[in-house]
Amino acid sequence: MTDYIREIWRTRFFWMSLVRMDLRAKYRGSALGMGWSLLQPIAMTTVFCGVSATLFHQEIAKFAPYVMTGLTLWSYFSHCTSMGCFIFHQAEPYIRQHPAPMAIYPLRLMLGNTFHLLIALCLAIALSTWGTGFAGILPILSLLPSLALIMVMGWSIACLLGILNVYFRDVKHMAEVGLQILMYLTPIWYPEHLLREKGLAWLVNANPIVPFLTLVRTALLEHRVPSVEMYGAAMLVAGSFFLLAALNLRQRESRLIFFL
Amino acid sequence: MASISLKNVGLTFTVKQDAGYTLKDLMVGGFFRKHYKMPMQVQALSDITLEVSDGQRLGIIGHNGAGKSTLLRLIAGIYQPNKGIRKVSGRISSLFDIALGFEQEATGWENIRFRCYLQGETPRSVDSKLQEIADFSELGEFLDMPVRFYSSGMRVRLAFSIATAIDPEVLLVDEVLAAGDMAFQSKAFERMRAMIERAHLMVMVSHDLERTTDLCDRVIWLDHGLVKQTGPASEIIPAYKEWTKNALSAGKTKPGGTVLAAA
Repeated sequence: MTDYIREIWRTRFFWMSLVRMDLRAKYRGSALGMGWSLLQPIAMTTVFCGVSATLFHQEIAKFAPYVMTGLTLWSYFSHCTSMGCFIFHQAEPYIRQHPAPMAIYPLRLMLGNTFHLLIALCLAIALSTWGTGFAGILPILSLLPSLALIMVMGWSIACLLGILNVYFRDVKHMAEVGLQILMYLTPIWYPEHLLREKGLAWLVNANPIVPFLTLVRTALLEHRVPSVEMYGAAMLVAGSFFLLAALNLRQRESRLIFFL
Repeated sequence: MASISLKNVGLTFTVKQDAGYTLKDLMVGGFFRKHYKMPMQVQALSDITLEVSDGQRLGIIGHNGAGKSTLLRLIAGIYQPNKGIRKVSGRISSLFDIALGFEQEATGWENIRFRCYLQGETPRSVDSKLQEIADFSELGEFLDMPVRFYSSGMRVRLAFSIATAIDPEVLLVDEVLAAGDMAFQSKAFERMRAMIERAHLMVMVSHDLERTTDLCDRVIWLDHGLVKQTGPASEIIPAYKEWTKNALSAGKTKPGGTVLAAA
């Protein structure tokens, strides 16, 4: 295990340069460049907030940061899911040439998505400061462990789906359908209490994205450090996914190449 | 000290006839066996025992599908053996499928960095090699362009220039002696020879028997995943040529590899 982590560290220049390249390639030739990372969550929040605030009779100043935090995290997890299905196929030429640890390929995807998440989170902090006032130093700092858990979750989703899609080519289609369903079941642009009031609390409790949404929203919208129970719930979900992904990778890493 | 030690190594892998499984395979495969392409088990290597020590230059020869490239990839650690023990000491530098694995949207300069990093180089060591690699590739201003605009010949030039700029301990080479056009090939061969001389240990797969004789002091002859003969290049290569001649006249030129059974 220690050797494996050491090997990931030894190849750090490789995967870090690929992350940089992915970011550059995404915006190469576009007029706004990185500005798109700022514009996209703003545009989405404006649209969703405009519609949802009217539908659900919400106050814009409070509801806009709520929607933006939801969209920010949803965008991160949905990219880890949809792009995660292809990570090992995308890395096939490297896998066939060098025996680098395969954990670096979901890491590449997760870190690229984390960069966009950070930009969007900065916007969410600015928007929540405008809407509900400055959250305070401690709640803002509490985002750091939350971010670490979100990163673990992102890596685990990408790794797990990447492995599954190598063996079962239907996984990418199933993931697309699953994402569409989950988007409507996740309190991104509608208030979470609506589901609970309608007797659908189990939908919220069973949703693996919700614990992470709760961590970020508690800090930014309620201006308090999330409780131990909130962190515990997120750690349980991230830990379970990580364990599942790591065990699968350990078991299948040496044979994966024969199915690519 | 670089060394390779394989003890009774075997490699069997299961491959699906179409890549991967689909939901249809899982759901209806059991009911319509006739139409369902069962996964196959391929015995790629059997009972390979091999010791290569520091300073040795080993060539691997054999017909198509004999397991040459598979053995090289097993030594590199890309394939893990099902049976036996594999031990390799020293930093491995492998030259397989070098024209693959370019990041299409990245420039030639950026790709030089990715590939060097993959081979274990650091930013500082790459900085010192960057210009030399660019000069050898003779790609000039093309290096500022994304690789997707390169011709296949230009890609091979760049890949070869990067791959041979390293200082290897355990060098594994799979058929990369013919790179680029005629003019580039002769200087590429000289560079390759210099690299082989720098390496502590080298294992090479090639169908070019003259080059193998020239570059290797020992040869291992594989046949259907088994070691048929091993010894000095001067003995094994004439024996292999004779065997090939006889096989050709008898019409026995079927590619190797043993399909065991449907899994």
